[in-house]
Amino acid sequence: MTHHEVEKYRTPVRVLHWIHAGSFVILFLTGLVLFIPGLAFLAEDSWTRLIHRIFAAIFVVAPVIYIILNPKSMARGLKLAFSWGKDDMGWLKAAPGYYFQGYEEGMPPQDSMNTGQKMWWLMVIVFGVIFVITGAIMWFAKTAAPPAVLQWMVFIHDISFIATGTMFFLHIYLGVFHPLMTESWNAMASGKISKEYAKAHHARWYAEISKDKE
Amino acid sequence: MAEKAILFDATKCTACRGCQVACKQWNGNDEYIPTEPNGVKASNRGSYENPPDLSPSTWLKIRFTEVESGGRVRWLFTRQACMHCTDAACVRVCPNGSLYHNGLGFVEYNKDTCTGCGYCVDACPFQVPRSTRSLLTGIAKMDKCTLCTTQGLNRLDDGMEPACVKTCPPGALQFGNRDEMVAAGRERVGTLKTMGWSGANLYGENELNGLHVMYVLDDYPAVYGLPAAPRVEGVTRAWKNVIQPLGWAVGGLTIIGLGMNWLVARTNAKKEAK
Repeated sequence: MTHHEVEKYRTPVRVLHWIHAGSFVILFLTGLVLFIPGLAFLAEDSWTRLIHRIFAAIFVVAPVIYIILNPKSMARGLKLAFSWGKDDMGWLKAAPGYYFQGYEEGMPPQDSMNTGQKMWWLMVIVFGVIFVITGAIMWFAKTAAPPAVLQWMVFIHDISFIATGTMFFLHIYLGVFHPLMTESWNAMASGKISKEYAKAHHARWYAEISKDKE
Repeated sequence: MAEKAILFDATKCTACRGCQVACKQWNGNDEYIPTEPNGVKASNRGSYENPPDLSPSTWLKIRFTEVESGGRVRWLFTRQACMHCTDAACVRVCPNGSLYHNGLGFVEYNKDTCTGCGYCVDACPFQVPRSTRSLLTGIAKMDKCTLCTTQGLNRLDDGMEPACVKTCPPGALQFGNRDEMVAAGRERVGTLKTMGWSGANLYGENELNGLHVMYVLDDYPAVYGLPAAPRVEGVTRAWKNVIQPLGWAVGGLTIIGLGMNWLVARTNAKKEAK
C-alpha cells in the first residue's frame, strides 16, 4: 500500500464478497433458465437444478464460515446495515443529480458504505435469508410440505429473484461501469482506494480512520 | 379435430382393476417390487385398494371408498388418473412448455424436455402428476396418464381405444367424441335420477372449463373423494401470468435505465474533464 492509498476492504471481506458474488451469479443463471423458455433445454434432465443446489450450499456456507471466523466484523457490518440517519435521506435526494449530472454539492458525507451501498447490503441480508428459507423448504420438504406451501415458496423465491437480480445489475453497473465510480472496483479487487477517492466518496469514514491514526 | 373424452360410469365399475393392469402393461410401467425410491409399495392396509397411491409408474388406479348411508355401508369405486383438464394447472405452470394440450384436448407431455421442477405436481387440483425425485440432487422427471398418446405407444393414432377403456369388462369406461360422451353421461344421470339417486351428476362437464375424463356419479363428488369445485389457484396462475412477465419488465427497464444513466453521466463527465 502506497501512502496515497487507504485500505477499504480487508482480505477476508473480499474473499467472502467474491465467493458469494460468484455463487450468486451461478444461482442467478441456473434460475434464469426457468424464465426463458428458449433456454429451458439447459434445464432438461435437471442438471441446472443440481448446479443450483451445489452453489446454494456455497452461498449458505461461505457467510456462515465468515461469521464464525470474524464475528466482530460481521457484527459491525450488520450494525451498519441497520444504521439509518438524516444523511441517508439527504443522499437519496441528491443521488439522481449526482449519478446523472455529477452534482456533488448536495451529497452529504458518507460512511464506509454510502446510502446506496447500504440499501444493497440490507437487501443482500434480507433477501439472502428469504432465499435460503424458501429454497431449503423446496429442497428438503419437496415431498413432505403441503403443495400450496411449496407453490408459495416458489412465488416468494421468484419475487426475491426479480428484486435482487435487477438490483444486482445496478450493483455491477455502479461497481464497474459508472463514469464517476472510478475506484469502487479497486476497493473490492485489491482492497485499496486512493485517499482522494476516500475523501470524496466516504468523507465520514475517511475522517474516522484518519483520526484513529493520529 | 373433434375433442375426445373418456366417460367413467362409477355405478358400473366393479373395481376389478383391469384398467390398472392394462395401463401398466401397455405403457410398460412395472411397479417397483420390492419398493425403490418413489415407488409405492403394495401393502395390506385392510383394503383391496392397491397400490395405495399413484406414482411415476402407476398412472391409473381405482380408489375404494367406504361410505355409510342409512345404516348401510356403500362401497364406492373411483377412477383416479389424469383428468385432462381444459384449464390445466400443470400446463399453466410448466416453465418450458413440456406439458401442453394436444389436438384432442388431452394434456400430453414431452418427457425428454421435462426439467423435473415439480411445479405441476404441486399445482394439480387432483394430485395426479408424480415425479421420480432424488431429494438430495433434485434430479427428477414427471410422469402421468397420457391417455395412451405416448410417442411410440400411441394407441389413438392407430385407431384403438385407450388401454383402460379397451379392457373394462363391465363397460364402465367409454371413449369417444367429447360431445357424445357428454350426451351419454347426461342420459345415464337422468336414468339414475329416475331410479331415485337424487344426487346423481355428471362430473367434469364444466369443471375447469371441461375435463376430458368425465364421471357419472350416483352421489355428490365429495362422497367419491373428488373436489366439488376444482380450481386453479391464484399462485398457480401467477407464475406465467405475473412473475415471468414481471421479471422481464423489471429486468428490462433496469437495464435500459442503466444504459441511459451511462450515456448521460459519461457526457457530463467528459464536459467536466474539458
